[in-house]
Amino acid sequence: MTDSIDLADLLARVSRRDRDAFRALHRATAPKLMGVVARILTRGDMASEVVQEAYVKIWDRAGEFDPAKGSPLGWMATIARNRALDEVRRVRPVSLEDMPDGFEPAAETEDPMASRERSERLKALMRCLGQLDGQKREIVMLAYYRGASREALAKRFDAPVPTIKTWLHRSLQQLRGCLEP
Amino acid sequence: MSLTPEDDFAAGEFALGTLDAAERATIAARRQREPELDAAIRAWEARLAPLNEAIAEVAPPPDLLAKIEARIDAGAPVGADVASLQTRLGRWRAAAVAAMSLAAMLAIGVFVRETGRTNAPHEFVAVLQKSADSPAFAVSVNIDTRELVVRPVAATAPAGKSYELWIIADKLGKPRSLGVIDAAAITRNPKLGAYDSATVEGATYAVTVEPEGGSPTGDPSGAPVFVGKLIPVGP
Repeated sequence: MTDSIDLADLLARVSRRDRDAFRALHRATAPKLMGVVARILTRGDMASEVVQEAYVKIWDRAGEFDPAKGSPLGWMATIARNRALDEVRRVRPVSLEDMPDGFEPAAETEDPMASRERSERLKALMRCLGQLDGQKREIVMLAYYRGASREALAKRFDAPVPTIKTWLHRSLQQLRGCLEP
Repeated sequence: MSLTPEDDFAAGEFALGTLDAAERATIAARRQREPELDAAIRAWEARLAPLNEAIAEVAPPPDLLAKIEARIDAGAPVGADVASLQTRLGRWRAAAVAAMSLAAMLAIGVFVRETGRTNAPHEFVAVLQKSADSPAFAVSVNIDTRELVVRPVAATAPAGKSYELWIIADKLGKPRSLGVIDAAAITRNPKLGAYDSATVEGATYAVTVEPEGGSPTGDPSGAPVFVGKLIPVGP
């Protein structure tokens, strides 16, 4: 796993148009960004296209990264994720049934807890997610990791879309209250 | 002025990813000019971002870096003033994001006021749509370069048919074709070079459904399915 201090330093150099630093940044983070995007865009060629666009944006905007507001990897992953979400919403409504195997939410929730590299921020977030009801936590995880829309979630949990929306809002409120008491 | 509870949730859902295409585009456009909303989205993104640490890595294609560098190089011609080019690119992207939203159309007053303070605007967007809640294509135009970029928002061409883009202005008489546009990818079109700035800025842009490959006669085969007009978005 990459050291966050190194990534912040690389981003600072990238903002000064340092191409070597950009290549090092790419080497250190591309598999992670591919992982983020590939879970949302299950077509490999689309995932790669979106990751390319994300890195061009990272090259353009490295100077906007603020270490006080989060980790370098989180900042980069958010850029890639936002592009992936734009794409997945544009293409077609995704049904969770279309997702390939091996992406069960249970695996997502266990993985971080088992990871040695989990940060304090992740630990805090997982603790707060753990306080949500099982189903509500699953909904948040599916939305974040898989880009599930309200419609897809409604289908999966056999609940009307407005109910899903209400659950999402309550969960978000509860999460914030837990993270920032 | 503080954020309404609705906007606060919209910011949270934007970060979580559960908004639909139209809501997402609307929020993306609004955050460009509403710092409070933008800050709320960033705060939510930061709260949730640690989840990415837990994601298993996926090997990227071997040519990924080469493709990225080719894109970067294509955007930064040798000898160009890189700093100003980056600024321009940033604005251009912001304009493209704004174009994704019908909120951009509603904000016309704000944009006009803002751009009116500086020089005449050079960048414009139009949202081509059937009704207020169904944006289908976003058109961006740079008046200086006459570059026209068409981005599909939620368009699907009927099987065996093509979408064709038209520029409509009194001065031109009949609608003039700007070519066939792709419903699934970005179309870049240089054909605006034939028209003067005033015509380009004031024209109506319309999309018709045509036989595959475009209208065989050079005129629209039927009524437009999506229409829109340009609004200025950037200096």
